[in-house]
Amino acid sequence: SGAFKKRTIVATEFRRFYERGDLPIAVEHRGIGNKIAWKVAIEKLDYHHYLPIFFDGLREKEDPYRFLAVQGTLDMLEHGGSKILPVIPQLIIPIKTALNTRDAQIIATVLKILQVLIVSGEMIGEALVPYYRQILPIFNIFKNANNNLGDGIDYGQRKRNNIGDLIQETLELFEINGGEDAFINIKYMIPTFESCVLN
Amino acid sequence: MAMPVKKPISMKRAKYWCENVEEAYRFQAAGWKDEEEYACSYGVPDRWPDHQWVKRLQVKGKKGGVWYYFSSKRECLDKWLPQVKLYQYE
Repeated sequence: SGAFKKRTIVATEFRRFYERGDLPIAVEHRGIGNKIAWKVAIEKLDYHHYLPIFFDGLREKEDPYRFLAVQGTLDMLEHGGSKILPVIPQLIIPIKTALNTRDAQIIATVLKILQVLIVSGEMIGEALVPYYRQILPIFNIFKNANNNLGDGIDYGQRKRNNIGDLIQETLELFEINGGEDAFINIKYMIPTFESCVLN
Repeated sequence: MAMPVKKPISMKRAKYWCENVEEAYRFQAAGWKDEEEYACSYGVPDRWPDHQWVKRLQVKGKKGGVWYYFSSKRECLDKWLPQVKLYQYE
């Protein structure tokens, strides 16, 4: 029925803003890894404005937009502290849009970012519980997206690109950090999920 | 006001990862030799509270201020070790 089919990826606001020169970032190609040069200190940024734009860029697959969006999001989450929690409601639509592309590369990126988001500050896990209805349907579709290699060894495990494993890890983090209502809400959206806390 | 920069007396390349190498890597990513040189221009850098690794640095030679932000986790991969220079002073 096409539930797993990739959808068209619509152009991102992130790319438009970056090309217009509205974002205070640039890529620096260094011999020891690429880095983002921030032209404004992250602590001074308006998170309500910038963080949703960076999350919107997570569905980019083309560099430098992909690198800037992913690394920029990680930097903002790691250095945001208490400024992240009030922005959570604005992050849901970009997360949902990215997951709905059903593109394996994009889903893997979003799942890794979600894992960082949940632990980036206090009460963020709890704040995400009301939005499970938006986020978890795609988790439910891809929860069993795993490779059956028989007795072979999956040498790609270090790349962490296996969607099924990433979804399981993310759901466990949701449950651990989501407070007492988390499990029942996850179970409602993903009936095959079993608790990692209660059992 | 900028202090005079001390000159190192020797330099060797990192052979394996350790906390000193991570420290040197972060300063050199931003274009500085080490904390000595950075402190002469911008003073004491911000550090992570748990293990005291550098958190953010101003990039050398950029007008108007450009910042690099560093993770609280290890950033210097093994493949970059030979490029990390460890300076020694008198």
